[in-house]
Amino acid sequence: MHKTRKQRYLLAMALLGTGTLFFFALNVCIGSAGMPLLKIVRTFIGKENEETIVRILWDIRLPRAAAAWILGGALALAGYLLQTFFNNPIAGPFVLGISSGAKMMVSLMMVFLMKRAVRVSSAVMIFAAFIGAMLSMGFVLLMSRRVANMSMLVVSGVMIGYICSAVTELIVTFADDADIVNLHNWSRGSFSGMTWENVKVMMAVVSITFAAVFLLSKPLDAYRMGEVYARNVGVNVRLLRVGIVFFSSVLSACIVAFAGPVSFVGIAAPHLAKRLLGTAEPIWMIPACFMGGSVFCLFSDLLARMILAPTELSISTVTAVFGAPVVLWIVAAKQRENTV
Amino acid sequence: MIDCYFYTKKMCVGYDGSPLIKEITIALKRGEILTLIGPNGAGKSTILKSIAGQLSLLGGKVCLNEKDLSQQKAGELAKKMSVVFTQRVKAELKSCRDVVATGRYPYTGWFGRMSGEDERIVDEAMEAVHITDISDRDFDRISDGQKQRVMLARAICQEPEVIILDEPTSYLDIRYKLEFLKILQEMRVSKRLTVIMSLHELELAKIVSDKVLCLKGEYVLKYGTPEEVFISDFIEQLFDIREADFQADEKLLSYIRQVGRL
Repeated sequence: MHKTRKQRYLLAMALLGTGTLFFFALNVCIGSAGMPLLKIVRTFIGKENEETIVRILWDIRLPRAAAAWILGGALALAGYLLQTFFNNPIAGPFVLGISSGAKMMVSLMMVFLMKRAVRVSSAVMIFAAFIGAMLSMGFVLLMSRRVANMSMLVVSGVMIGYICSAVTELIVTFADDADIVNLHNWSRGSFSGMTWENVKVMMAVVSITFAAVFLLSKPLDAYRMGEVYARNVGVNVRLLRVGIVFFSSVLSACIVAFAGPVSFVGIAAPHLAKRLLGTAEPIWMIPACFMGGSVFCLFSDLLARMILAPTELSISTVTAVFGAPVVLWIVAAKQRENTV
Repeated sequence: MIDCYFYTKKMCVGYDGSPLIKEITIALKRGEILTLIGPNGAGKSTILKSIAGQLSLLGGKVCLNEKDLSQQKAGELAKKMSVVFTQRVKAELKSCRDVVATGRYPYTGWFGRMSGEDERIVDEAMEAVHITDISDRDFDRISDGQKQRVMLARAICQEPEVIILDEPTSYLDIRYKLEFLKILQEMRVSKRLTVIMSLHELELAKIVSDKVLCLKGEYVLKYGTPEEVFISDFIEQLFDIREADFQADEKLLSYIRQVGRL
């Protein structure tokens, strides 16, 4: 029994790992500028050195795929943390309005700084997004004290999201033309236009946060049994809760700062990872969620780029098509569970 | 008071700063069983939660082995005190054994890896409450009575010196109620386990307890040995019932007495 369970976990991890590599490679190889595979391979091993191909691969496709990989994982992890925190399977940075809060602060800052022709660095972007994420998170936490019901909490989150989006619209309306174009593309959610500098920053932020969350997997596991039992086995519940709020906000902020709001990955990926693993133990779930989110985003970004190529869809369009049914599935399963 | 293993001194409990019950003084030797009785809403759970450190005290103190509980490190306290409360436990995709194993938390390392010794203690705890046969079942899909036993096993494998149980028998049928008492009796002998619990079954309380604390409304009505507490008209006073109602099922009661004494 014990052996087979572990085998299943390892198999699931291997599957997710292979999936990540596969879709990463696919994202690098496929694009609107058609290139034969052989050429790409030869370029990578240094046998060929055609300027345009090198530029497309190195400056456009690779950083973009890397961003989808890192941010997709971050998004799933943020969702997982929020689901654990609120004990609610459909919590996530998008439905709780945290992404929208981050988006609002980032657009505010962009408009404000660009007017003064100040170059906005990645770190400043993340910081602004973090402030916005914490702002929304604060509201959600306040609401969560008043509403014990899971679905009402989500409704509150969606409302906060609407308010933040309305404010964002207002900001965009008052911005200059050039900013609007920039803002509009980003505010719909997209992995396009990533630079290596962006990738480096997100890599640093996400990997540190990932490590920190992974180190918390034991108290997180105890916390899943409820606060009372977590406290009874010696978990500092208050500190853990602060940690979860902080890390999930950092992750959400990082995603919004670089790719804008991306919907549903935070709910769908953890759920699918959990089904695949057959356990919800954090020590397995944390890495599995991350890889699941990566696969989901790499796959969605590929579709977003290719379906109407050379026109690009926003990433949320694709993630919603595949993610929303998963949410419906969760809700239906929950309903069935309650009636039994 | 000095030779007492566990005591509370002028403990005052309640929610959000408003006191519910004041001046509670309890003293127990190691291996004694204290039972809280009283009508619903009398504050049994509130007292248990306060003792367990789940609710902050509004006054007074709780001491274990001459040490103030509030001064102890959470990790250390977790090795001395375990709890079973009444609220529903969610354990997504955990088997019963997984749930029991969460009791080993204070003893395992950073990532919670279980040693062979930990595994053995989990097995023992499961045997003690006879749930070995449902070991691999999904915790979310067993009955409430089974869950209660799993949670008891969880509390036992935490190897506590004091165990706090909030209505531990509420979902158990008569056979398991008696078995439960047997387990407690065994544990107090073999491990000198001190038990603090609330019970609805007055007959069980009478047989099993060394000390009984009666609560009614907002004060402690009576505290003492079962002999002192269970005097004829007292129960009627406590629950506002007549003696006749209380002893409705003489047959059942005599059966309980018989088996409960072991």
